[in-house]
Amino acid sequence: MDPENSRRDFLKKSIFLLGGLMAVGVAVPGGTYFLSPLWRKGEEGWLELGEISKILPGEPVKVDYAQRRRDGWATIEEKSSAWVVTDDGKKFTVFDPHCTHLGCPYHWDTAKKKFLCPCHNATFGMDGQVISGPPPRPLDQFTTKVVGGKLLIKPRSGGA
Amino acid sequence: MRTLVDWLDERLQIREIKVALFDRKIPKGVGWIYTLGSLSLGIFLLQSVTGILLAMNYSPSPQFAYESVSYITHQVTLGNIVRGLHKWGASAMVLIVTLHMIRVYFMGSYKYPRELSWVVGVFIWLIVMGFGFTGYLLPWDQKGYWATMVGTTIAEQAPLVGPALAKLLRGGDTLGTVTLTRFYAIHVLVLPALVLTLIALHLFFVVRQGISAPPERDKPDGPHA
Ligand code: HEM
Ligand code: FES
Repeated sequence: MDPENSRRDFLKKSIFLLGGLMAVGVAVPGGTYFLSPLWRKGEEGWLELGEISKILPGEPVKVDYAQRRRDGWATIEEKSSAWVVTDDGKKFTVFDPHCTHLGCPYHWDTAKKKFLCPCHNATFGMDGQVISGPPPRPLDQFTTKVVGGKLLIKPRSGGA
Repeated sequence: MRTLVDWLDERLQIREIKVALFDRKIPKGVGWIYTLGSLSLGIFLLQSVTGILLAMNYSPSPQFAYESVSYITHQVTLGNIVRGLHKWGASAMVLIVTLHMIRVYFMGSYKYPRELSWVVGVFIWLIVMGFGFTGYLLPWDQKGYWATMVGTTIAEQAPLVGPALAKLLRGGDTLGTVTLTRFYAIHVLVLPALVLTLIALHLFFVVRQGISAPPERDKPDGPHA
């Protein structure tokens, strides 16, 4: 190779190398930034539903609560609710208030003694099992604990 | 890869484009200062990429602008790097584009037949200033707020049209919510669309005409080549 050509070759390679390095230098932090929602953890905190003495055995009770949480840069207060069931006033089962079919809110039918979802006529038992209708799985439950006479739940991140 | 290039070349003659863009003839005596235009383009691309990324986590409202910028800086992985690149890139852009303009001026490259490159260039330069002015307000911090107050009040001093101009810039009588959304829209929609069009034109002229030769002592009229 004559010197003129090897010089040209060297410069060409240098340009590609430097250009490549600069592109990678932006693409790596940029890509990491863009993909960061993938490994970002939602906040996990216990939420207070109220005094257990107010929740009586027998009928499911709908408990409304307000939840303050960080949503990106904003702190928002969301109203939410949960269905609480207890047999003995000591152990509690708390159901997510959304139907496991397509997410409609369901309610307790006092006469039929079933949870009833109006959207596609699903029914669930007091234990959350599907009795009839399209839902693919029993009602979702929150993790619960009782501290100092108060019932607490751990909402799943992302859920309302 | 080779076959793909061949396939495209057969239909679109893409190798001609490559030759026109990258294997151009360059006059003798051209040196480093002639790379400032390409460097401007490089920084413009950097600003585009980092700007798009910032927009994904920015909220143009007085309530949240500052919070969202601090969210980017402290919460998003490598957000401080992306923001830092955009912030420093903004200053670099003004600096490099201006140096490029100065080189064009002192080499007499703006003369016939390259007047159009110069005229388009002047508008590009003004838009770069516009990017700086509108971008500075977006973090909604004290510095940006008062800088915008000063900037719009300067506009207000212009004879006759001043008050109307300031009102247009602020989107009302006072600097506030509407000013922020206006500046945001101008910064991320209006100016990018304009500058993209002008840069495309500018580069077309440059590639079509070739770069001017540096002026010589015995050719006082400057570069016609
Ligand atoms: C984003 C901003 C700009 C970009 C990306 C850009 C890009 C370029 C490039 C790549 C060249 C080839 C020669 C060189 O690099 O020196 C060039 C030439 C030129 N630029 Fe720019 N430019 C920009 C802004 C400006 C401004 C602000 C002006 C003047 C007001 C200007 C006036 C010119 C002229 C007259 C030429 C022809 C020079 C010659 O043929 O020697 N450009 N530009
Ligand atoms: S959403 Fe409840 S039955 Fe379809």
